[in-house]
Amino acid sequence: MRKDLRERLGKEWLIFDGGTGTILQSRGLRGGELPETWNLKRPEDIIDLHSGYLRAGCDIFNTNTFGANALKFPDDLEQIVTAAVNLAKEARRRCGREDAYVALDIGPTGKLLEPLGDLPFESAVQLFGEVVRYGSRAGADLVLIETMSDSYEAKAAVLAAKENCDLPVLVTVTFDGQGKMLTGGSVDSTVALLEGLGVDALGVNCGLGPEQMIPIVERLTEVCSIPVIVNPNAGLPRTEGGRTVYNVGPEEFADRMEKIAGMGVQAVGGCCGTTPEHIRLTAERVKKIPFREPVPKYRTVVSSFSQCVEIGGKPVIIGERINPTGKKKFKQALRDNDIEYILREGLRQEDSGAHILDVNVGLPEIDEPQMLSEVVQKLQSVLALPLQIDTTDPAALERSMRIYNGKPMVNSVNGKKESIETVFPLVRKYGGVLVALVLDEDGIPSDAEGRIRIARRIYEAADRYGVPRKDIVIDGLAMTISSDNTSALVTLETLRRVRDELHGHTILGVSNISFGLPRRAMINSYFLAMALQSGLSAAIMNPGNEDMMEAYRAYCALAGLDPQCREFIEAYAGTSDRAPAEKAVKGTEGVPAASGSSGNTSMNLKESVLRGMSQSAAEAARNALKDTAALDLIDRDLIPALDQVGKGFEAGTIFLPQLLMSAEAAKAAFEVVKEFMKGQPQEVKGRIILATVKGDIHDIGKNIVKVMLENYGYEVLDLGKDVPPEVIVDTAVNENIKLVGLSALMTTTVVSMEETIRLLRGKKPDTRVVVGGAVMTQEYADAIGADCYAKDAMATVHYAEDVFGA
Amino acid sequence: MDLTPDINEVIRYLGYRGAVPDDSVRAEIKECIGDLQREVTPRFVYEKFPLSVKTEQDKIPLLCLGNLEIRSRDLARNLAGCYGAYLMAVTLGPGPDRLIRRASVSQMSRAVILQAAAAAMTETWCDQINERIRREAELDGLCTRPRYSPGYGDLPLELQKDISRILNMPKEIGVSLTGTLLMTPSKSVTALIGVSDRPGESRGRGCDSCKASANCAYRV
Repeated sequence: MRKDLRERLGKEWLIFDGGTGTILQSRGLRGGELPETWNLKRPEDIIDLHSGYLRAGCDIFNTNTFGANALKFPDDLEQIVTAAVNLAKEARRRCGREDAYVALDIGPTGKLLEPLGDLPFESAVQLFGEVVRYGSRAGADLVLIETMSDSYEAKAAVLAAKENCDLPVLVTVTFDGQGKMLTGGSVDSTVALLEGLGVDALGVNCGLGPEQMIPIVERLTEVCSIPVIVNPNAGLPRTEGGRTVYNVGPEEFADRMEKIAGMGVQAVGGCCGTTPEHIRLTAERVKKIPFREPVPKYRTVVSSFSQCVEIGGKPVIIGERINPTGKKKFKQALRDNDIEYILREGLRQEDSGAHILDVNVGLPEIDEPQMLSEVVQKLQSVLALPLQIDTTDPAALERSMRIYNGKPMVNSVNGKKESIETVFPLVRKYGGVLVALVLDEDGIPSDAEGRIRIARRIYEAADRYGVPRKDIVIDGLAMTISSDNTSALVTLETLRRVRDELHGHTILGVSNISFGLPRRAMINSYFLAMALQSGLSAAIMNPGNEDMMEAYRAYCALAGLDPQCREFIEAYAGTSDRAPAEKAVKGTEGVPAASGSSGNTSMNLKESVLRGMSQSAAEAARNALKDTAALDLIDRDLIPALDQVGKGFEAGTIFLPQLLMSAEAAKAAFEVVKEFMKGQPQEVKGRIILATVKGDIHDIGKNIVKVMLENYGYEVLDLGKDVPPEVIVDTAVNENIKLVGLSALMTTTVVSMEETIRLLRGKKPDTRVVVGGAVMTQEYADAIGADCYAKDAMATVHYAEDVFGA
Repeated sequence: MDLTPDINEVIRYLGYRGAVPDDSVRAEIKECIGDLQREVTPRFVYEKFPLSVKTEQDKIPLLCLGNLEIRSRDLARNLAGCYGAYLMAVTLGPGPDRLIRRASVSQMSRAVILQAAAAAMTETWCDQINERIRREAELDGLCTRPRYSPGYGDLPLELQKDISRILNMPKEIGVSLTGTLLMTPSKSVTALIGVSDRPGESRGRGCDSCKASANCAYRV
């Protein structure tokens, strides 16, 4: 009878089956015909297919369900999947191979997930979940998720498998010759993600022949702590008389697989182009060589969809700026749902040199689960740094860990029973590197001994919940020295003891140490150096603070962590390429005065805007405000400059990049003025909704219009792209909006535009609609009932001026 | 591979209509090209199929390409005299989309330039694969026709579904279709390239062959 697969995985050689498509084609499967339909139409052929591999000696064989999902089989998915499992079981019975395992085979959906494509993450989980339910009900022995070329989709499939059955889950993914997935994932990032999700084995299949897979297998066996599976193609494909053939025959394949098996993998088989003969020879050869169990690697790795950061080597900088605590503007951005403000904060920190970004959006009056998961997803759509999800709200934590693409850092658990019981199960399920605060029901211990005691307790809890100890990072807790003179010493002692006695990693929110003191940056940077010297693995800090970065870079250079002091020299050697903005400021000197402008400073402001120089515009505004009233500055310089650029654009003497550069410069100046006028009521000319309509994912045009409208003093409610008509209409009604701007790029999506207008006329007839986009024309706009067709951003501005009577 | 677009093409995509951008814009264009070159993961897939054309009086010609049937007057004109055609699909990968999204948040003027530069790079990549196909056809003693894409003339966008399926685009090059038939990643192109034993009439792929050329901002 069959042993539990989990007892055999990683303990002995296991052989997978080979290709399906090639064999079905030789039996008459036509190009474009869906192989899964044969489960119902040609059952005997499918039984034969399996029997060939069972007789060749494979231990695990795949149901004919690679492309079976509700997108491709909306009507008969259940029958197809159930039949597939039953045919596999029947083949097993006929071959007398009751020891072999039926793998429910799950391939990619063929759709790209959001934000790259249009399939929402949870829809992918549902699509896979359905297949898993049918397959496990029919009696599959394991779930094999294979040929995944997007780590995010692999994550959706793993969650679906775990949430819908208790079977072992094995995952193999596809890399190209450079070791990259189609969406950018590497071996390291994939291993971090899948090990975090707790799969039973992982590996690589398809895309490459055995020879080309060798460097990938090498890396896999270096970083992976669980059993590794290798299922290559029979070499590289070529087309011969309309058929795809592969160039590596059974003998050669078995040769290469023997070599691969010797590299420390635990399971082998084949993919496209391999036949029972490939598998028979491979099984024969591989089973003769000594089996090696997988070895734990003790690597602490956080990942995004493409990048990995290892904790425990060179100290890691975790950017702390995405956090509303003590930041008025940030809080306002959260209340206004101004996600872009938060994204910009993230991008700035990446540019400053952060390795990971902490993300905290906790504010009492907002829906934190919704906001945190949205911010996490949007950040991941613009940057590749791994994130540290920072919240005390368990619902927000779960939702964000779920949709996170990669293995996140989680901030945080502490020694309290309730915290341990809430957070550990989530880390166990979704994977993550967990920040553990050394405090408990009795508060923060005043000495290192007490903190170490709690750290030990948290490690023990990790054991109980099945979270690897390597995935715990102890926060030694920095408390201000202004209230307790010895607190820095206690923290440093805690760091040292975690490193030396517990062999663990540590993290600190560094700047707490100076709370209540003047010149905080000075204390913080010295403390950072001391903490690093005491073993600190990760510093939560502001990477935009030059004192802190100096301390960090100097420490790394001094501690032998910056080979040839390269990074230090790069950052501080006299010249650098990173100062084009400064050059630009210098460049404004000597600019001839524009005619008709008054006074020297304000002339500079106008000129800066005309030339599209943001920094110099901000500076000029700051200077001008010393002796000019803010409103005068706007009326006399900013608005005329904008008008001049706008007119030039319309006349065809100024082009889009310059128009936008000037707009950006004006915005920089406006921000200075606004800051200056803080507290005084500020005029908003009108509130306008902008959206790219449902089905359309091109938002560049809409974003251009937004920049221009904001420049002219309008408040824009940017609903984003692919926006359903109801959302636009509901927002217009709830916010009582007078003007809606809609954008569509393709003829295929103009229908959504028409639908939106129709709905809007019904529910909010007094709202005007302006439309634009590549395929739009005046006739088209008239036909779908828009009030105005705007051929470009300036035309939209003019229409807004009409509507709001400016 | 060298994916350096013609900077004049980038400027044309930016809507300059023959005007010359100032030095700061030119410098920005060069920077954007550099950024894109670091982020692109160019991929391609193509396959050749036999072609036959059925023309009946007063009916739109029916083109049979392998198992695929296409009704299109304009494509029939493009493929006149061909008895085979390549289907091709190319992409720059998800990197450019991410760069553009990123710049849309931090600096819109840069997003616009990245967009134009990425579009020009996509064309450059198309040209390179097109050239590869041309040489392959040449070895068989055949000439290629100018490439033609779904959405041109009366060739329906619906054809994207078939091309995607036949070339197995999601798996081969990581390109998938949205419900509205847009390709993701967006810097991707599909096209047909006809092959014949005699050269076609020399009708370039210039602006004159396009219906929309009269009011087009990108006109050469």
